[in-house]
Amino acid sequence: MSEQATARRGKKSTMTHKMWRLGTVLALTAGSLIAVAGHGSALPLGAPKVGMVCTPGTVNGTAHTFNLETKTGYIETPDGNSVFMWSYDNPGVDNGHFQSPGPVLCATEGQTIEVNLTNHLAEPTSVVFPGQQDVTWTGGTAGLLTTEAAANGGTVTYRFTATNAGTYLYESGSDVAKQVEMGLYGALVIRPSLGANFAYGASTTQFDPSREYLALLADIDPFLHHAVEIGATYDFNSRDNRYFTINGRSFPDTIQDNGSGLLPNQPYGALVRIQPNSPSNPQPGLIRMVNAGVDNHPFHPHGNHTTQIAQDGRLMTAPGGAPAFTEHFGETIGAGQTEDFLLRWDDQDHWDPGTNPLPVPPPNYRDVTFKDSNTWYSGSPYLGYKGTLPAGTTTQNICGEWYFPWHSHALNEFTNFDEGFGGMGTLLRVDPPGGCFTAAASTAILSGVLKSGSASALAVDDTNYYQVNPRTTTRPTATTAGQTTITVASTAGFPTTPGYYIRIDNEVLQVTAGQGTTTWTVARGQLGTAAASHLSGATITGLANDWYGSFSGVRAGSTNLKVTYKGKNCQATSGTTCPTFTGAAAPQQTVKICNWTALGAANCATAASPGWVTLPTPGGGLGPAQPQTVGSTDVSSTWTLPGSASQYIGTGAYNGQVRVLIHTQRWTGPSPTPFSTWGNLLALVYDAP
Amino acid sequence: MSKFAAMKPRLPRLTRALVVLVMITAGLVAAGSTASSAAPVTIDLCAEPGNAALVSSVSVPIWGFHTGACGSAAPTLPGPQLEAHEGDTVTLNITNGLPAGHTLTFEIPGISFDAGPTDIAAGLSGSVSFTASAPGTYLYQAGGSEGRQAAMGLSGALLVRSATAGQAYDDPATAYDTEATVVLGAVDPNFNAAPDTYDMYIYQATYWLINGKAYPDTPVITAAAPQRLLLRYVNAGFDNTSMALLGMHEHVVARDAHLRTNPFDAAAETIPAGGTEDAIATVPSSTAPSVHGFPLYNRNLHLTNGPQTSADPAPATGGGMLTFIHP
Repeated sequence: MSEQATARRGKKSTMTHKMWRLGTVLALTAGSLIAVAGHGSALPLGAPKVGMVCTPGTVNGTAHTFNLETKTGYIETPDGNSVFMWSYDNPGVDNGHFQSPGPVLCATEGQTIEVNLTNHLAEPTSVVFPGQQDVTWTGGTAGLLTTEAAANGGTVTYRFTATNAGTYLYESGSDVAKQVEMGLYGALVIRPSLGANFAYGASTTQFDPSREYLALLADIDPFLHHAVEIGATYDFNSRDNRYFTINGRSFPDTIQDNGSGLLPNQPYGALVRIQPNSPSNPQPGLIRMVNAGVDNHPFHPHGNHTTQIAQDGRLMTAPGGAPAFTEHFGETIGAGQTEDFLLRWDDQDHWDPGTNPLPVPPPNYRDVTFKDSNTWYSGSPYLGYKGTLPAGTTTQNICGEWYFPWHSHALNEFTNFDEGFGGMGTLLRVDPPGGCFTAAASTAILSGVLKSGSASALAVDDTNYYQVNPRTTTRPTATTAGQTTITVASTAGFPTTPGYYIRIDNEVLQVTAGQGTTTWTVARGQLGTAAASHLSGATITGLANDWYGSFSGVRAGSTNLKVTYKGKNCQATSGTTCPTFTGAAAPQQTVKICNWTALGAANCATAASPGWVTLPTPGGGLGPAQPQTVGSTDVSSTWTLPGSASQYIGTGAYNGQVRVLIHTQRWTGPSPTPFSTWGNLLALVYDAP
Repeated sequence: MSKFAAMKPRLPRLTRALVVLVMITAGLVAAGSTASSAAPVTIDLCAEPGNAALVSSVSVPIWGFHTGACGSAAPTLPGPQLEAHEGDTVTLNITNGLPAGHTLTFEIPGISFDAGPTDIAAGLSGSVSFTASAPGTYLYQAGGSEGRQAAMGLSGALLVRSATAGQAYDDPATAYDTEATVVLGAVDPNFNAAPDTYDMYIYQATYWLINGKAYPDTPVITAAAPQRLLLRYVNAGFDNTSMALLGMHEHVVARDAHLRTNPFDAAAETIPAGGTEDAIATVPSSTAPSVHGFPLYNRNLHLTNGPQTSADPAPATGGGMLTFIHP
């Protein structure tokens, strides 16, 4: 006979399994306890890392079929516990991998939905479809609320027409006080025939399909789950929920990716990502909320109002048909209800360190402390910027994005078994417009010499410039008009590939060999100048410079890099003004990006290293063709590198580094004179993973 | 498979009041009561101890209302459904038959009484009067004894019928063909056995009721396609209650007797403790999800009766705040 459940057990559940009487064996998926790093578990191929994941099912004409089976398994909680659950999964997909909650079923308005249920539990079960009409069935046995599949392998098939688009719940209709509590629930999404980028058949419900999120709320009484696990008795009148989930996970697991290898039985994350509303980003995101729990939950999105558009799969409209949408920063969703929200994040103030700084200075970072020395804050109050944090602080911030908690405002539900900041919560992540951006953190001159400024001058498009001159050296002896080999005091800072030009007094020479040594072979009187003699100690000036900016903290997996360089050249190598160019053409600029693969830093160690790729990159990159003629007026250019950027993001000792080289040369006649390169802005925009 | 048990209304003996009073405990009410011009309505009520059968052989002591003089009839759980027509001037003569020391404060949230005392000491009588100017579904209850009187069952529904027959709120959007009053409540029998001394901190309901009954004794709601069924929800209980409707949607037209500017459709609705809600469900001609009909049930999953001492919810055949809609 089953033992009495203990009244209040300790936090950690025992993992004992008990053979049921009469030889009935629970199908426990012990294999699901093994975390498989990076394994997609039950998710279909190509599922996004963030956002709602649909189970495709099988489509045949207008029929859309889903197979579900009931199974037992375990989920993880962030406080180190695991909870015995019942759930639906996809049989035949990944060996019927256990998942909680059940698969998200997605179909289209007008289709005939068929759900084949196979029941592996030791008691009859069923599926009810709140909000659907005319659900018929084949097989099964009549139960209290609907037709059931018998225990231990019984089956039943439900059929209904998806007459109305919307967000719906499906759940057990059998012994519901136990079975729904144990986890038999999932979401059903019906897309309108108007299109997959509409929530309902109304143009007012258009949304950005890459910003579609499900938040399925549930509550867990671990004492009930433990009693079911060991076959003990349980007082259904004294429910005591201690774990609270969104999409089957508790915060902070809710912000992990879909299919995270850390949570093999909980495939759905709940992180919400958005960028500010703008003319280039005009569509809102869509939040589909489902409350599969037994209690109402007052959900509270920080950071912006959300616009409720529907409840229980029905659009909120005024009599006459106009939308009756309402804005909320607190919306109680009732047990068994669904609600749909559009999410726009508006940058109301457009604070910007250059053009619209905060009217008060931010607090000195030394005066700021963070709980547990851990924070989501970037150190800068400006969206998209990173600042300084106190030493020893760990930041989760990637590129100056903002994070807002979204959580149940029944604050006992915002816990993991009383440990605060857990449970029914997730984060809204607001990325800077267009994505993360970063400025060059450091610079290095491969060929040339610093005139003035530092990497910080490249951070903002303003009147501060990073200025680089070509290298100079001297002739230790006098030069005749005819000699073709000259020695130089130092070769450092000069190009390391032959063919570059230098100037001595009024003559331009070309170095054809001996580069990298102090003995150069030269061609005399180049580019419209005449060979002449020069005194001992004459200055040799290069007519090119190479320097790169290095970005740091670019996460592996970032995509869609956009490199922006804005700068000019000036007809002088000293002074603070920028004279325009006279005589020979203005210098030619080529911007390159470092491809790290194969040789690491050696790939881009010198200006001539094979790793430097001229922008735009081959294979679909966008941006102005190069080289470009750049005179004494700032020229701004942006190049887009499509898709994965993994070869341009350093690894190992160069983890997270991106390098962009600015090569500028004035190698056209007549009589080119030395110049300086003035860099204004060197920035990178990318989609962080 | 559970046998469906038809609900037979137990009609207590009535003492006729001065003006016609329709008394309903459950079941189908044909709408189409003729709109009458405003008239004075007087109802005599008594609040006194009694008993209520919640389900099968489970009976608990209650404090309840009934019409007529104290001692002339048994109090009911919930109290009698009171009715008036829009514009009526209503006078309620209330006798407090509760044990000594229990002063009763009569209240109907949403309705302002005419000037006068609402506190009635035990053993005494008092009157409250009001003009039923706004149609709708209301909850009446006895405040007093720090909420213990309401927890013992001293509450019920008041319907103010609109001037337009067949419309709940003088608005075509609230037209209906048939109606059902759904009074939600809960009982902790341990409290009912000792209402004056029970520690309310440990109050735990074990019976969940529709119109004073737990399934399978809950009243069935009789309606057939294509009737528009007006569900008048009244939450006389202590907690916010979510009611789910399977197989059809309901059109929520009013909350707390206030007509909504923008009515909306729902399949699950939360009626706050002390709140009322009016929703019109058009019964579809489709197959009902259950052989018993279209389920209307507590989605906080209070579908059990009494103490729970086994590994499964009891009774296995279903209990609690559950009923069905069928022809």
